[in-house]
Amino acid sequence: MNPLSDLPSNNSMTKNTKSNELILRDPSKVMRLERMGSSFQTRLSFMRTLIRRMSTDKWRFERLISDIDSEGYGVSVYAAHTPERTYSLVAFTQSIPNDMRTDRVIAEVWDATFSLYDGVPSLEDIEYLSKHTPKQEAGRFRPSELVLARANKSLRLFEHIASSLSNGEQPDIDLLASVGYLMRTTAVYGSGKFGCADRAKLHDREECKVSFHIELLAVYLIRWFTIDLVETIAQKRGGKKAVKLEYNISKFIGVGNSTGLGMAPFLLKHPVLIHNWVSAKESSLGRVRSINNPTDYSTEVFLQSLKQASQHIREWNVEDEEQTLRIERLRVEVDKLEYWCVTNDILKKMSPWDIIYKFVEENFSYECQELTVSLLLEPHGELIDELADTMLATDGTVFDSNMQLKELTNILNEHYSWATKIDFSSAESQHHFWYYSEDKLEPRFGSIDTDDGVEQEMPLAIAREISDLHNKLKTFSNTMCTGEFAMRYPQFRHIIRRAQNTAIRPYAEVQDNLLNKSMRPLDLLRFKLAFFGASKFDPKSDLWTRISMYQGAPLPKQLNDKDHDNWAFPIKPIKEIR
Amino acid sequence: MNNEFIRISLNEILFYFTRAGFGVNAPIGLSEDFARSNVWLAENGFDPSSCSYFALDCLDNRKSSIIANFSDRNTIVCSDKKYLSAFQASVVAADWITSNSNDKLKIVNVDSPFLVLAQLGVNLAENWQVEWSDDKGDRYLINLKKNENWEIVSNSVNLIEHSKGANILIKKLDFTGVDNNEVIKKFNTKHCRENILQTGVEVKDMWVLVYEYFSRCLVKSNARSRETGAGAGLVDND
Repeated sequence: MNPLSDLPSNNSMTKNTKSNELILRDPSKVMRLERMGSSFQTRLSFMRTLIRRMSTDKWRFERLISDIDSEGYGVSVYAAHTPERTYSLVAFTQSIPNDMRTDRVIAEVWDATFSLYDGVPSLEDIEYLSKHTPKQEAGRFRPSELVLARANKSLRLFEHIASSLSNGEQPDIDLLASVGYLMRTTAVYGSGKFGCADRAKLHDREECKVSFHIELLAVYLIRWFTIDLVETIAQKRGGKKAVKLEYNISKFIGVGNSTGLGMAPFLLKHPVLIHNWVSAKESSLGRVRSINNPTDYSTEVFLQSLKQASQHIREWNVEDEEQTLRIERLRVEVDKLEYWCVTNDILKKMSPWDIIYKFVEENFSYECQELTVSLLLEPHGELIDELADTMLATDGTVFDSNMQLKELTNILNEHYSWATKIDFSSAESQHHFWYYSEDKLEPRFGSIDTDDGVEQEMPLAIAREISDLHNKLKTFSNTMCTGEFAMRYPQFRHIIRRAQNTAIRPYAEVQDNLLNKSMRPLDLLRFKLAFFGASKFDPKSDLWTRISMYQGAPLPKQLNDKDHDNWAFPIKPIKEIR
Repeated sequence: MNNEFIRISLNEILFYFTRAGFGVNAPIGLSEDFARSNVWLAENGFDPSSCSYFALDCLDNRKSSIIANFSDRNTIVCSDKKYLSAFQASVVAADWITSNSNDKLKIVNVDSPFLVLAQLGVNLAENWQVEWSDDKGDRYLINLKKNENWEIVSNSVNLIEHSKGANILIKKLDFTGVDNNEVIKKFNTKHCRENILQTGVEVKDMWVLVYEYFSRCLVKSNARSRETGAGAGLVDND
């Protein structure tokens, strides 16, 4: 049973905050790779906000078509009916050779492929998609398709659950917990990729205007599809003997994902969006830390969340040695935090959330600090949930040609000292470069010493560009305008525009050198995936990670449950006693 | 010219045209603006590749240059005695109108003048008039009005997106000077954009050539880069 589910659903809280005293963490603290790579989901994460919307707006879900054989191969269509319109997941499943099952972009076949259709597809649409969706990047899509995705089975868990259910038994919980999902997605494309609908088509739709909601709706439907699929296969195999998954066990099944380097350039290419995401999270933390007298409800939720998080991270096991050490330390620190809070009656003091944050920041690891941020936000939906609506961007960066070079220099001094201090004459500082491979445009991370392609480097060397601009500006008159300067030196137009944006959106920039030898793309991936709402980060190298999505989240039939929003830290279910 | 076409999204235009610019060695900042200009053209129902291929080709073959300077207070010329590349001309024009509300700007010998107009459209320029005569002697007058309304006034039978080698004059909107024989074609970018979002952008034969420039930003794959450059294994059963 979820320990949070017994809490009162009316989370009214006293807005007893210190006026105009929001304590915001500085970008130089927040936007560092080491901290970014320790991020956790929060109640503002996109999966969380999407589930709340589904429940609040009473979305209806329906399986429209299930035309599959006894092995589960065929086509299925699942619909989400929102108050305004319907979205349909069209799923194709097929048998593939084991030696062709890869999580990489360069894969050519998948166990399942998906399109999210805008509306209810006609038979002609399904026929069209049957020729394109299974080909993924090699197919061609239309503005009626919003998302393109694919997934591969976790063979051992899928077969175990199908077999167990067909024999009338529930699956082994430990095995289920060790994997967490029946299938893992290996790419989820939206925003106009391969001819799909542009993001702008959705801008005025309330249900999916927040970042990545449409992609995460597709993932939510994929999760439901995988559970429905395994139950259907079990039914076909076992007949009357077969059973369905128990309520809490089905809820514990998430959908996996393998994420590689594609996400990293995204963060660099969307500075306005990244600022808005981080700003919402930091403003939320600031609001919570400003509370003088917390309600009983909030302190109770905090303590129960802390206990559940403690259990959650005990069940978070990975093979990666470095992450294992971080998790082990986190377990100890979370226990210490709980002990400290209770023995010192911290929650009965004035401004307890601020006290807790400061204590954790001074004493514990980044992992624990960022977990604590998540825990502090958890009880304060009424105070912070409105900020989720700001986590989008409709505008891009703008080049201010009238700005004088003096002001530009001031911006570099104020916001980019982290970059201007780097010595780019050292080999270590320019060890890496980012590029697109001709293999399906797969993004890759090369080393100058060993890899070809530095001439085609992606323009992600922000720190180096800033350093070059900073040096160049030293030789120019302060009163010249950036427009004239950029006309003479167009190679700086890109970085000037970026710097001008940072002056008004200070959380826009990752404040580390992404070319450095020690750079771990993994940190960028975790940062972004945490905003999505992912959990159980399972790094497979510095370049890619597996994660769980929607583990513990309510399935369509569970969206009206009282505890539909309490799935931040999923823990193993207990089998029903018969 | 054949009539075959494919439909692509606005985001694909942004992605491919930015990198096509990169493929002809245009600085990334100019390439980004070049791509935004192409998105604006596409939003208005034009095939962006048919206009932009020439600008890409000129830069690639050094028939144009991005080196520009003011020969006098109101005239921009290419310092290299070539076409002035629309990559540079368009952003200079857009920068100029933000600080010169009542003046005129002349830009000399621009390879693809329609791209300059497009960049002004991207920047939501209002109450400006853009005029040019190109190397075929065709004259085009474009009025940028309020609320994303704009119009082309011309008696040319040639497509405006194919117009090349023009001296462009940018000035405040002047409603006089329209010849009775000239045809007025009106646009509303917002309205056109809504349609394009439902249909996608039709691109024809020049798209393949733009894609070739884009493909220059791709790095050839080899066994090492396949195995070490992107993480994950080549077989991932579990």
